Amino acid sequence: MSPGLLEGLLMLPALLLLALVFLWPLGAMAWLSGQASSVLTGLTALPNGGANWLRLLGDGRFWQDAGQTLRFALVSVVLELLLGLGLALLLQRPGRGRAWLRTLTLLPWALPTTVMALGWRWIYNDPFGPLNALLGLLGIGPYGFLSNPATSWLFTVLADVWKTTPFVALLLLAGLQSIPLELRESLELEGAGRWQRLRHLTLPLLLPYLSLALLFRLTQALGVFDLVQVLTGGGPAGSTESLALYAYLNAMRFLDFGYSATVVMGTFVLLLLAVSLALLLWRRSQPHRRPA
Amino acid sequence: MSGLRIQNLSRQLGNRLLLDGLELTVAPGECLALLGPSGCGKTTTLRLVAGLDQPSSGRILLGGEDITGQPAGQRQVAMVFQSYALYPHLSVADNLALGLRVRGVPAQEREQRIATVLELLQLGNLRSRRPAQLSGGQRQRVALARALLRQPRVMLLDEPMSNLDAQLREELRPELRRLLCGAEPPVLYVTHDQQEALGLADRIAVLKDGRLQQLGLPRQLYEDPANLFVASFLGRPAINLLPAEGGRLLGLRPEHLRPTAAEGLPARLQRREWWGHQQLLLLDTPRGELRLLLPSGSEPGDSFQLDWPRACELWFEARSGERLRGFGSENTRAL
Amino acid sequence: MLRQAPGHAAGNRPGNRQPQAGVLLLVAVLTLLLIALLGIAQRHGVAPAAAGPVPVRLLMPAPFVDATAPLLKTFHRSHPNLRLEVTRGPLDTEAMSDLAIGALLLGETPYDVMLVDVTWTARYAAAGWLTPLEPLLGNDALEGMVPGARLGNHFDGHLWRMPFNGDTGLLYWRTDLMDKPPADTAELEEIAGRLQREGLVRWGYVWQGRQYEGLSCVMLEVLNGFGAYWWRPSAEGVAPVAGQTDLASPGAIRAAAWLQGLIRQGITPQAVANAAENETLQLFAAGEAAFMRNWPYAWREIENGGGPVTGHVGVTPVLAAPGQQTGGTLGTWGFSLIAGSPHPREAAEVIRWLTAPDTQRQLVMAQGYAPTWSALYDDPELARLQPLLAVQRRALEEALVRPLTPLYAQLSDLLQRQVNGLISGGGSAPAAMAEAQRRSSVLLDAASTS
Repeated sequence: MSPGLLEGLLMLPALLLLALVFLWPLGAMAWLSGQASSVLTGLTALPNGGANWLRLLGDGRFWQDAGQTLRFALVSVVLELLLGLGLALLLQRPGRGRAWLRTLTLLPWALPTTVMALGWRWIYNDPFGPLNALLGLLGIGPYGFLSNPATSWLFTVLADVWKTTPFVALLLLAGLQSIPLELRESLELEGAGRWQRLRHLTLPLLLPYLSLALLFRLTQALGVFDLVQVLTGGGPAGSTESLALYAYLNAMRFLDFGYSATVVMGTFVLLLLAVSLALLLWRRSQPHRRPA
Repeated sequence: MSGLRIQNLSRQLGNRLLLDGLELTVAPGECLALLGPSGCGKTTTLRLVAGLDQPSSGRILLGGEDITGQPAGQRQVAMVFQSYALYPHLSVADNLALGLRVRGVPAQEREQRIATVLELLQLGNLRSRRPAQLSGGQRQRVALARALLRQPRVMLLDEPMSNLDAQLREELRPELRRLLCGAEPPVLYVTHDQQEALGLADRIAVLKDGRLQQLGLPRQLYEDPANLFVASFLGRPAINLLPAEGGRLLGLRPEHLRPTAAEGLPARLQRREWWGHQQLLLLDTPRGELRLLLPSGSEPGDSFQLDWPRACELWFEARSGERLRGFGSENTRAL
Repeated sequence: MLRQAPGHAAGNRPGNRQPQAGVLLLVAVLTLLLIALLGIAQRHGVAPAAAGPVPVRLLMPAPFVDATAPLLKTFHRSHPNLRLEVTRGPLDTEAMSDLAIGALLLGETPYDVMLVDVTWTARYAAAGWLTPLEPLLGNDALEGMVPGARLGNHFDGHLWRMPFNGDTGLLYWRTDLMDKPPADTAELEEIAGRLQREGLVRWGYVWQGRQYEGLSCVMLEVLNGFGAYWWRPSAEGVAPVAGQTDLASPGAIRAAAWLQGLIRQGITPQAVANAAENETLQLFAAGEAAFMRNWPYAWREIENGGGPVTGHVGVTPVLAAPGQQTGGTLGTWGFSLIAGSPHPREAAEVIRWLTAPDTQRQLVMAQGYAPTWSALYDDPELARLQPLLAVQRRALEEALVRPLTPLYAQLSDLLQRQVNGLISGGGSAPAAMAEAQRRSSVLLDAASTS
């Protein structure tokens, strides 16, 4: 057996699995997005031309949710990358109790999102939550963290940052560990301070890991669902509703599967656009890339 | 006084003493090799001088100035790491430029100095390559170039040739000498390879378990070792050690033994290794197995008598490894 | 592969402590896997059917499973030919709905009988997931039930659901702060404001204002209390959407403005904009509010909670504006027969038994559930055991049902958004209600023409 053939055979199960779990549902969704399939049709799929897509283009709620989802994703991912980097740098420093610190910081990530979201709903509780108790000690508040349409999204971001920063930190920590100590020492001997070492050595070498974290987190954050569902249910006044939540509502609450599929496909298209744009910008801003 | 001076330097880690009261002076223009097996404290010494590690006690003086507490970046020392520590994301030229940039050297001067050093090391045609695209020897030269660019007050090298194959090492040895030794900054050269130390250094310091065993000229160390450890660490094939009365050991280097017609130590040939210009004979004698180094042409036969010049005998106390001086030839018969 | 990734990345540095991160990662992944498996195990926790008695598979939220467990033993003794296989569903109504729909979408449903929320009836029926019950239980199956309990079970001329309990929204008031409950909304405002001014209580009135179904329930009561209608059924409309909304009427605008005004005056805390039943109950049970709108379960929670207001709580039907008809939202569960059940007759028998007066009597005594049968409200022993029954009956007599249309979820969702926006952000009640009416009309028009 030639090595090429063996390689192909070994890859086959993975490719089949990928087709099964990714391409097949995607194809099914694309097909369904061209059908009317709801309680009004008794859940049978009837082709309705591009009616779902036309409705999507004119659906203010879809575009509002798209903007809100993007806002959530961008702000939380940027914060997570910054904080994750800081945390990774902190965790990398030698010292007593470092193992414990690592375990401790990982806890939020190990927690199921729904459990963690319930916890945050309590933390934000107005007026009994710990956060308002804290504000009370300072003589302010109570503040309706999740009942103000202008600011509630920020607190969904905060909860997300709390949960996923450890993941980013872990990824970046792996990246930091892959940088040989001598490189830092060498630059230190050349007279570079902490910031110069970070700028000229650590960050460039961490770039592949940062890109990976960015890609991972951006796709995840653009698909945010359970956090928002539990924390705010999309409220107040729809100000935290995400595209995934809207698709879910259409399918599971409204039983409008045709339009839900259209929302999913629309989201998919926007997601592709957003991620490729992010990657493009990232590449542009980095002329020096490590050869493979 | 200029040069590097190490005074009573110790480094303790937990309850392990990595370095124990080291005293050392390296004069300007001198190349001193730190030689010893792994874990002997030689790399520790280098890192302490560089400022990458802090001593538990003792002082380090550079050009008369106490730099013991100074941060590494201020010491103006250069170091060539065993792994070369080239920045993988930067080209050769950028690898050289980065240090100058962080120290704020103007672009024009930077360019000029890099060009000079690239010329010196014949790296001009590699300037835009990445480290991953260089051979081991080329990487070593880049690391060296970077160290030279630092214009250091002391040059530190940590096993700079251990990642190269034997042939390349031999080729590079004279080049290293040309570039490093004799220039103003003192050179501290860490190696576990005696060949390298003997061939390159002006003086050698032999370390074991964090303690200085002997400091001297290469020839001095070989011919007049301070103790059993130095005697057996230096020299390949290793020195023959014959147990003698009174808990003593007689050390005889393989090249000092010779077959004789007269009465001597009876020996029987057990095995022979032919090395081209020389041959190593492994002999069975009543005093144990001995190594004998002969010119490759000689054929002493399967059994013969052994003799040696009395002046070449090295006597040690077996238990402590101490050298027993003035314990002469008249005692040989005590074998 | 997950396990190896960090270790590989750190491969350049021997002796570092990276493997611990790998182990942690593994533990995290395994934990998540375990949780997922537990979830699956819980769903399929019921053993498959064996030969012998006919199996009837039943899906209920977990608390109902616990409540009915002793009764089911009796059932098995009296019905040796049947065997009930009960699946514990989630406690939360929406999570229960997800589980139910997930199962129903598969076509070959794993359940014969399902406990269904009152708002699901029309939708599930239109989706073709349910079997009409009147051929099996008779056209007079609901005869003898309190009028309110009969609502929300019929759709499109068929009976789809047998009501299991008779919950409605209620008004909770503090007996330590007043002698008798207010008679109408104006009086509520006045009493609440006075108690707040006197510093006797922090907040006047708390209710469910979070953007979720609970807000629709509150809104239905307030609309009714101000003489307005959410939904006007019509005979002419095409079957699935036989009716229209009337949310921009002057009464509807007054109703929305009243809720907004409660917050603006400080009678209701801004916090209700994200408050569901439990958050509201917390506030009231802690003695922070004079009045609360909630479901009957709250009474037992407060009485058993041992908090500062335990023993000082009265319950009354929800209020209306002066001169208007009162009414509380019906929020009940009922049993439906799933289409495609292999044993519809046996399943119907199970439904009949589970909703029979005798069974309900047991549940009233043991659990305090509000019955649906009128006769049980006249039972002196029950009245003695459950003092809330008298109020519950009054409330049930005038219960309000949410719009009976398969599009109810959409209507409710868009009303929630508008009203939640009104009470949390700002804007005006006329604008918000006009927008709710406009969006409802667009939805219904599109549905009628499709």
